[in-house]
Amino acid sequence: MISAISTNLPVFIIIAPLFVAFVLPTLAKRKRLVENLVLSVEVLMLLGICYLASIVLFRKDIPIIYQMGGWPAPWGIELKVGSLGTFFLLTIAIVSLPVALFARGNLTHEVGGKERIARFYVLYLLLVGALAGMALTNDLFNVYVLVEVATLSCCGLVSARNHPRAAKATFTYLILATLGSCLVMGGIGFIYIITGHLNMEFASRELSIIWQNNPRVVWMAFSFMLVGFGVKSALFPLHVWLPDAHSVAPSPASAILSGLAVKGYIICLLKVLYNVFGQTLMQAYSVHKILVLVGMVAIIAGSISALTQKELKRRLAFSTVAQVGYIFLGFGLLNTRGLAGALFYLASHAVIKSTLFLSAAAMQTATGKKEIKDLSGIGRKMPITAAAFTVSSLGLTGIPLFSGFVGKWNLLQGSMESGSILPISVIIAGSVLCGAYLFPVIRIAYFETAPEKDWKDPNLPQKLALILLSAVIVVLGVVPGPFLELANRAAAELLVLR
Amino acid sequence: MSEVIKKLIINYPYFAAFILFAIGALTVLTRSNLFKKLIGINIMESAVFLMFVAAGNIRGGYVPILNGNNPQTLFINPLPSALMLTGIVVSVSVTAFALALILRLYRSYGTTDLRRIYKMGNEVSE
Repeated sequence: MISAISTNLPVFIIIAPLFVAFVLPTLAKRKRLVENLVLSVEVLMLLGICYLASIVLFRKDIPIIYQMGGWPAPWGIELKVGSLGTFFLLTIAIVSLPVALFARGNLTHEVGGKERIARFYVLYLLLVGALAGMALTNDLFNVYVLVEVATLSCCGLVSARNHPRAAKATFTYLILATLGSCLVMGGIGFIYIITGHLNMEFASRELSIIWQNNPRVVWMAFSFMLVGFGVKSALFPLHVWLPDAHSVAPSPASAILSGLAVKGYIICLLKVLYNVFGQTLMQAYSVHKILVLVGMVAIIAGSISALTQKELKRRLAFSTVAQVGYIFLGFGLLNTRGLAGALFYLASHAVIKSTLFLSAAAMQTATGKKEIKDLSGIGRKMPITAAAFTVSSLGLTGIPLFSGFVGKWNLLQGSMESGSILPISVIIAGSVLCGAYLFPVIRIAYFETAPEKDWKDPNLPQKLALILLSAVIVVLGVVPGPFLELANRAAAELLVLR
Repeated sequence: MSEVIKKLIINYPYFAAFILFAIGALTVLTRSNLFKKLIGINIMESAVFLMFVAAGNIRGGYVPILNGNNPQTLFINPLPSALMLTGIVVSVSVTAFALALILRLYRSYGTTDLRRIYKMGNEVSE
């Protein structure tokens, strides 16, 4: 029994949340039971993922390949538990567990009655399952299916709040995201037509032989994939849907959308770019230069638009646009340091941005106000929330001893290795701008006098979630050890020339 | 030039898919009516389905059912058509969700024109 579970663990990690998601609506009347089920699935996933990660960390040679249904590779579908997969799985588990904990204390006044809460959790678990699938899949069409599952559940989560503004934001998001997935499907189609394979390894092997015969088709596939995943992961000029959607969603949803969902699409793009096309083709079509350029533009433009926002949640949403820029910049550097830095930054931004959104939500709920100027003196009335916000702002800015620093430091070293000055200066300028839009909030929270009102820290599960997430930020910053090791190994595996 | 035209005529399904894709994308991006946007998305998806199915087709090929008596060995590739079943399911669910959203928007704003909805701003109550 136990051996059967441990050999099939990769599938269980994907199927468990999906399965429980479809059981939840039948239990909708019993709210406590639903919440406990969701939490226990999250905890089980975390345990299973830690087990997988320990196997991958100690077994240095080859990734575990799981064949679905026992069919071997070109015919069957594969799951690949490599360093990249476990790295992203760990990120998913670390972020989604505290967010679910936070949702437990917070949903009633944001989403509504029992039925609506159960439906919210259905979408939440579907999203988590789809993201876990994205981390593990080694098949191009599975990427498309999982991307669609994630997109639809994201749209559902945005519209979970019963408000016309939410419907408006969701519609824009749905149309643009579907446009993106059409492009992704088209790109997959081009790759399938010229290679005849959907398995990433076989497609890549075939592509490296025949790409010179079909240069224009490869070019189309590249551009379709880049634009398609770019729309979904809010790459700068294609980010128009993000601020509305992420600021109008219920707060646990905006935490997981900004923290994890966007990252899932980025991981898919990374897999397609490095595992299917490979480094040689990227250099031949100078895709890496496009990535660095777009990343730099996103950092500057996103930060400047964040500076001009008055609402706290919108400011955080625009900041996501800027931070996605760092990750794309790291993907384009084409050296191990830069890529590992980008991956570590991806994970640390997932944790930090969800902390920021959750603490912002707690402040908004307590004060009933959305704008930053109304938060004066909140630091003394809500010490834990404000402390979590401070820790995560320091982390996002890249102060040493917080997790953002490790990622940015590696990114800086990667850009030095690649030998160009511009990325280095943009990374530093981005950090300064990040401080410029987050530190005023801290100043208002701590150094201005509070109005005489009864603002209190949120209830226990929410406080626990905030403390857990802040602890993760500090721990990752002080001892990045195994996590950075996984990122390094994933980067080295991705950059292998074939 | 005649070379290009000959290639286009031989590969007409791909050409049709390209034209459909362009029409769909243009409709999504330029029309402000919610229903027209949705129809545009559907046209785009059909274009991609057409491309996949055309890629699996072999002229003169037979239905890929294997039995001992059938002397034919030239089968069409069934995989892309099977994949597109999944694609169609996804497209149907997107359409259903979008229609529900349009209904919700029409109830609260009284119009199906996205530009007018954005002009109304955020004053609409629950």
